[in-house]
Amino acid sequence: MKPGMKTEPVFLSGEIYCEEAVKLAAAVFEGRAKVRVIKAAGGVKAEISGGENITREFCGEVLNQQCRIDLSRKNYKIASLIATKALLSAAGEKTAK
Amino acid sequence: MSENISIRVSLKKYSLDSVRYAAHSLGGLVYAFIKPLPGGKVLVELSPKPGTTAAKAAGCARLFRGELEDEKLRERVSSGNRELREFLLLKAMNYQPKPPEKDDSGLTPQQEKELNDLIAQIEGEIKAEAAKGASADPLGITSTWEDKYDPKNGRKKIR
Amino acid sequence: MTPKTAAKRSAKPRSAGLPYFTFRRMADGSVLLSNDAGRTAAVSGKDFARFSAGRLGSGEPLYAELAAKGFVREMTDFEGYAAACSKKNAFLGAGPGLHILVMTLRCNHKCLYCQSGALGAGGRGTDMSRAVARKSVDFALKSTNPGITIEFQGGEPLLNWDTLKDSVLYARGRGRELGREVRLALVSNFSLMTEEKARFLVENEVSVCTSLDGPADLHNKNRTFSGGNSHAHTARWLKYFIGRAAKQVPEYRTFTPSALLTVSRYSLGREKDIVDEYLRQGLADIFVRPLAPIGYAKKLWPRIGYSSEEFARFYRNSLDYIIKLNAAGKKIRERHAVIMLEKIVNGGDPGYLDMRCPCGAAIGQVAYNYNGDLYACDEGRMVGWEGDDLFRIGNVLRDSYRKVMLAPASRACAAASSLESQPQCSRCVYKPWCGVCPVYNYETQGSLWGDMPSSGRCALSLGMFDALFGLLKKPASAKILKEWVQK
Repeated sequence: MKPGMKTEPVFLSGEIYCEEAVKLAAAVFEGRAKVRVIKAAGGVKAEISGGENITREFCGEVLNQQCRIDLSRKNYKIASLIATKALLSAAGEKTAK
Repeated sequence: MSENISIRVSLKKYSLDSVRYAAHSLGGLVYAFIKPLPGGKVLVELSPKPGTTAAKAAGCARLFRGELEDEKLRERVSSGNRELREFLLLKAMNYQPKPPEKDDSGLTPQQEKELNDLIAQIEGEIKAEAAKGASADPLGITSTWEDKYDPKNGRKKIR
Repeated sequence: MTPKTAAKRSAKPRSAGLPYFTFRRMADGSVLLSNDAGRTAAVSGKDFARFSAGRLGSGEPLYAELAAKGFVREMTDFEGYAAACSKKNAFLGAGPGLHILVMTLRCNHKCLYCQSGALGAGGRGTDMSRAVARKSVDFALKSTNPGITIEFQGGEPLLNWDTLKDSVLYARGRGRELGREVRLALVSNFSLMTEEKARFLVENEVSVCTSLDGPADLHNKNRTFSGGNSHAHTARWLKYFIGRAAKQVPEYRTFTPSALLTVSRYSLGREKDIVDEYLRQGLADIFVRPLAPIGYAKKLWPRIGYSSEEFARFYRNSLDYIIKLNAAGKKIRERHAVIMLEKIVNGGDPGYLDMRCPCGAAIGQVAYNYNGDLYACDEGRMVGWEGDDLFRIGNVLRDSYRKVMLAPASRACAAASSLESQPQCSRCVYKPWCGVCPVYNYETQGSLWGDMPSSGRCALSLGMFDALFGLLKKPASAKILKEWVQK
């Protein structure tokens, strides 16, 4: 481990954060920190190794991913309508009415 | 660094989504972490980020409470209009402006001419009247509603 | 947009459901509202509380104003609402209009904030060949967008003059054959411009754009040029092109040149000097652009970077000064404000790819690298040059137009830059006119989606919008700003 790096475990309750959000956050932190995601009773345990404040930053990213997941569940129709229209028009295909 | 702030929020009053969004929205100032508590509550822990001034950090609890209230409104507005928004955006994506309505009065060219002549005649008469100064306001356009219909003036409103 | 019917009005407060809108509490205590049609209303905190609680009386003037703008659901003219949404989002049906051809990666400048990873002028093997350039022009002409712009960039594109010249003639010829509208543009530091090249560009209707960072001392500090005084070259050729544009001839259209300002730490506090320099050079527009901590600028960020608050102050001071000059009869506009006002005031789309939903990556622009590799945008190409080809969408010699448009990176960028999928953006009052940049997010935060509350770009955009809406609330400045985009 690099000097200045420390490993901190954090428990993320399944009542607040879904496993997918934790895994997505771990993917975002690739190259910036070492993140180990372990299933635990009632949620997920994450072990994060990195520099100053890395665990807090990681938890912030989990919250960001969780909000994104919540939102895409609600807004997926509108979001996909816009993106599909743009992509298919650019590709020269007509979108369904 | 300023002290951490812990705020208890009842999930009976605010949805978990609202709590998450409110905490997330402060991400420029603080690190946020949410824990469940017994009795349908959650604990929101906010720790100021490096660079957040003490004054800003001190206002975080108030900011969070304000965001929470605003989130409640946003949630109501979004969920109450989701289907309508989807419909309107779909309509916008396929929007075709209505062709301008054809100017069709339903009159024959002869009738059109007669009508135009009549309008010209009336315009001429009005101009002549105005030139004579016979009446500055023959139809009473400039008089007020009270002048015309106020019972005190002894006139009734015409229906 | 007009209310559906006035006959339905009664003086009683209405508690019927609110329509969709987003809002922001402003520093002065007022609340700004916006909706999908791009309509806005600024109300006091008290009125907002009454409005959101459904306690606004329908006989009140504010009710009529909100109803007319689509903030009262049962009074909304849905036809007009959809028409406004459609106009604002017309680009969704257009396809890529901007095609950036990187003539070479070589450059004779070493600007402090350069993102393009340019090589020295003597570098080899990074010039676009004529064959690749012609293929690129043909590819661009396959775009579904009826009016395309081919922009020649670098590095310094004049270092590959032969290919540039050939591409201009080829594009003009192919455009004529196909009956397509083709706009040509060159982005150059002008240090290698000659009378002959300038004449060729003018005669072939190539518009030119350069960088001007302010007075000579500031410009030359930012834009290091071992060959001499960068500012002197810029000033000389700006004068030439402005002079040519002033003397239009019947044979061809001549365009007024434009210049871009990149704000570095050295620019802070020198707003007036910079704006005055633009006026001195005869420019009618100034485009105040923030630095992005990507590419070469990332390494030098502690030296040349600044906080979003510092930039917001710079932007606000610049706008205030420009408005003051306008009030005194001097004609100069701030380009970013013009772009946003075109959206906010006119409800149109000025074609600015950085502030769209989805962003312009692939669906609005394509960057053609010197070797024919295609990227979703020019910033994505720069990431590619650093060894990460995440934003590569194909190769002009090998891939079909359709395949490129629907490439995984094209789709990922469109999905990631949809503001409806961004937790912060989806609830932001500036959503109708804003946009996120997946490349910026990736470079600064490690994912295409990023995390907006802690994004420097988001903070910069908020600062710029706040400044603009603050000025739009004041009648005198609003009058000047609206005149900038009067049709």
